[in-house]
Amino acid sequence: MLYDLRRADARIKWLVTCLLATFGLSYVFGALMVALYAGFTPKRVAATYAGREMSMTMPPETTMTVEHPMSMAEFARPEVHAVDTDLLIQDTHVHVPMYGIFAAALSLVVVGLSLPRGRAFGLITLLFAAPWLDFAGMWLTKFASPRFAIVTLIGGWAMGAGYLVVAALAVQQMWFSRERS
Amino acid sequence: MNLLFRAAAIAAVLHITPAVVLVKRPDAVLALLPGAEAYFAREVHLSNSDAHRLHLAVDWSPEDGVLTFYGGKTGSTVVGSLEFVRVDTPHGPIEVAVGFTPDGTVRGVIVTKATVEMKPWVLDAVGAGLGDRYRGLKPGDRPAGAAAIAGRAGNLAEYIAGEVDKGVARALAAYGTFYKPAKT
Repeated sequence: MLYDLRRADARIKWLVTCLLATFGLSYVFGALMVALYAGFTPKRVAATYAGREMSMTMPPETTMTVEHPMSMAEFARPEVHAVDTDLLIQDTHVHVPMYGIFAAALSLVVVGLSLPRGRAFGLITLLFAAPWLDFAGMWLTKFASPRFAIVTLIGGWAMGAGYLVVAALAVQQMWFSRERS
Repeated sequence: MNLLFRAAAIAAVLHITPAVVLVKRPDAVLALLPGAEAYFAREVHLSNSDAHRLHLAVDWSPEDGVLTFYGGKTGSTVVGSLEFVRVDTPHGPIEVAVGFTPDGTVRGVIVTKATVEMKPWVLDAVGAGLGDRYRGLKPGDRPAGAAAIAGRAGNLAEYIAGEVDKGVARALAAYGTFYKPAKT
């Protein structure tokens, strides 16, 4: 095959290395952002996406008012970052295209690696399936059951794993393989 | 490939930056309910028809169909109430705290949350006196903070002031229609 990163011009290898490093940086900060706003446990993810909507009853026939005392401590209590349907629509709209671009770029790297076809197909599938799982989990958590929070976590970890596998293989084959030119 | 680059550019432009707290909620409560010694939350669970009425009025439905008003009291005297209203913008959400006096006029408006991207726009707008432009408004009035700071702040500050106007309009509509003053 003509496109082989092991034998590519050094400038191409450097481009791919810089791309992977940049993606790596964004993934690290993506993980930090997840830790800040959603968390890495099914319980926290469910609280973020299911919110009160899962326990919401039907709107009352007539408007009802409920009043209860509040302490200043309750105002100060850290809020669970809740993503409601409107925000999830917006998040999906802006994140999914970006994830698609990431998956496509990493898949182009995979195509240039020396891998058995089956593994390459598997890796490309993983790269695209991970964000699908991530967002499918969010929507299912909101509208089906909080138990689907695990799907979001699997999707997120799969994105990280996919990136690490591609980055490790690419760096190894481009810069440390015996067959490199 | 051209399509790929265009999609990347669009996604990058539209990407929402994380939310930051500009003013902590307890600080907003202290500023908008001055002198209060005790607080209460009043949750108004809207019926379908009332939720629809509010939506028609200000193109907005509160989260889960519940409006939450926070009130403050000194002894048995109500010192006012406030609402935290979220406005979703193409750049992410902002949260606006709108405080009311006991006679139902706006005491003050504080932008409590924005995104990293919008923070400087909000600070610019607030620096141009945006918060003062809403004082004294009552239900039925139309907030015009953006017009008031036009020419005194940058275009993006004016833009964000328009979003704050939306939040204040929602709070006014909700307060005017659904808040019944507590008995003193």
